[in-house]
Amino acid sequence: MFLTRSEYDRGVNTFSPEGRLFQVEYAIEAIKLGSTAIGISTSEGVVLAAEKRITSVLMEPSSIKKIVEIDKHIGCAASGLIADSRILTDRARVECANHWFTYDEKMDIESVAQAVSNLAIQFGDSDEESAMSRPFGVAMLFAGMDSKGPQLFHLDPSGTYTQFDAKAIGSGSEGAQQSLQEVYHDSMTLKEAINHVLTILKQVMEEKLNSTNVELCTVSPDKMYHLYSKEELEAELAKVSSIHDPSRPDVAVIGEP
Amino acid sequence: MALVTKQILDTPIQHHFSPYSDNGGTTVAVAGPDYAIIASDTRLSAGYSIYTREQSKLFTLSETTVLGSSGCWCDILSLTRIIEARMQMYLHEHNKVMSTTSLAKMISIMMYGKRFFPYYTSTIIAGLDPEGKGCVYSYDPIGHTERANFRAGGSSGALLQALLDNQLGFKNQENVDKTPVSLEKAITVVKDAFTAAAERDIYTGDGVHLCAITKDGIKEFNFELRKD
Repeated sequence: MFLTRSEYDRGVNTFSPEGRLFQVEYAIEAIKLGSTAIGISTSEGVVLAAEKRITSVLMEPSSIKKIVEIDKHIGCAASGLIADSRILTDRARVECANHWFTYDEKMDIESVAQAVSNLAIQFGDSDEESAMSRPFGVAMLFAGMDSKGPQLFHLDPSGTYTQFDAKAIGSGSEGAQQSLQEVYHDSMTLKEAINHVLTILKQVMEEKLNSTNVELCTVSPDKMYHLYSKEELEAELAKVSSIHDPSRPDVAVIGEP
Repeated sequence: MALVTKQILDTPIQHHFSPYSDNGGTTVAVAGPDYAIIASDTRLSAGYSIYTREQSKLFTLSETTVLGSSGCWCDILSLTRIIEARMQMYLHEHNKVMSTTSLAKMISIMMYGKRFFPYYTSTIIAGLDPEGKGCVYSYDPIGHTERANFRAGGSSGALLQALLDNQLGFKNQENVDKTPVSLEKAITVVKDAFTAAAERDIYTGDGVHLCAITKDGIKEFNFELRKD
């Protein structure tokens, strides 16, 4: 029988002779079309920032949600097919609520990533046991505070979840990840991290960064999950633009003496 | 003959289903600022007969938690085995040992899950909470739970709770220093409580098994009670 590559594209759970699952790989490619999202974990808390693509002036920007609350102590940023991400965030919320109900404690971030990854790999052609006919075309960043402290986890369509100090997903992820590697250090403050995520987002975004096309959230011990309002975001953006403003040398670059 | 058959058919036949038995036993637990103790007698009985004089009703669930239960012995065994299984599943799923407070909530839910065919037990757990403070939780058969500083349960529960209220809760005492008692003092009070219960309650006696839980681990003690 003559087998073309497309034969292995048909079954979502069929390995190719090279040992690859094409549909999963294509799903990972789908993430690279999505808007950029960045997360940094510091000792003071975790920050998430996500780009929103405003494709029309008639579009209502607040109706696009790239960062959502999972529980009081967990935030989540998604990139890729946001419709798919809603299924996964719904599961994460249910798992958190159930965990609190059963064990009277906040669910660990790793356990949430684990629970969501269990759903993410339940794709297949059969009606039974499959939650989805194809892999979920979305990557997620889970940021939160738990018994182990601030945590950042990345989940991809293959169901693999990994802990990161700093991670970027989406179309600008390659450049952003490079920048994160350059700026990240262990003693970074949350303030510095906010500045870094916005600065890096600014670099990789095609549109000019403003308070309507970016979302920002922090998860810290005092405020837990906190999504920045338009006003708070404008205050943070003002600090970012001042960093690269050569006309104001009196404003010091945050993180440097 | 026909009359006899008719009589049998007309008489209502009563069917019995008695899945429960009361195997007696008493459990006492005390929570201190940095310790918790829990003790049970070692008599297992049914009516006027004693099955054994050396059956502890304590179950060490983790480094920081011990459960004590009396009532229907088969239900106690079933309940504790399912709890142990759930704790093992939690360990594998979350990579940590279940805390006493989490365990307390889970047991309540497990018990209420059998709301219409309950585990016939009087259960108490004692241990250290995530902050290292001593804690005691008590349960009724359908999972109603409460955190307390001291609790007595089982066949002498009602008898001993009043004693503990006075000796550990300083109730009905005037001009008394109400600072929480030390571990040594708590053990003494619990020993005296069991000695008193063994005098009045035929389902409590033979011996006491006691566990003292501190940050250094669980220490076990045994002492004798009257055997008649």
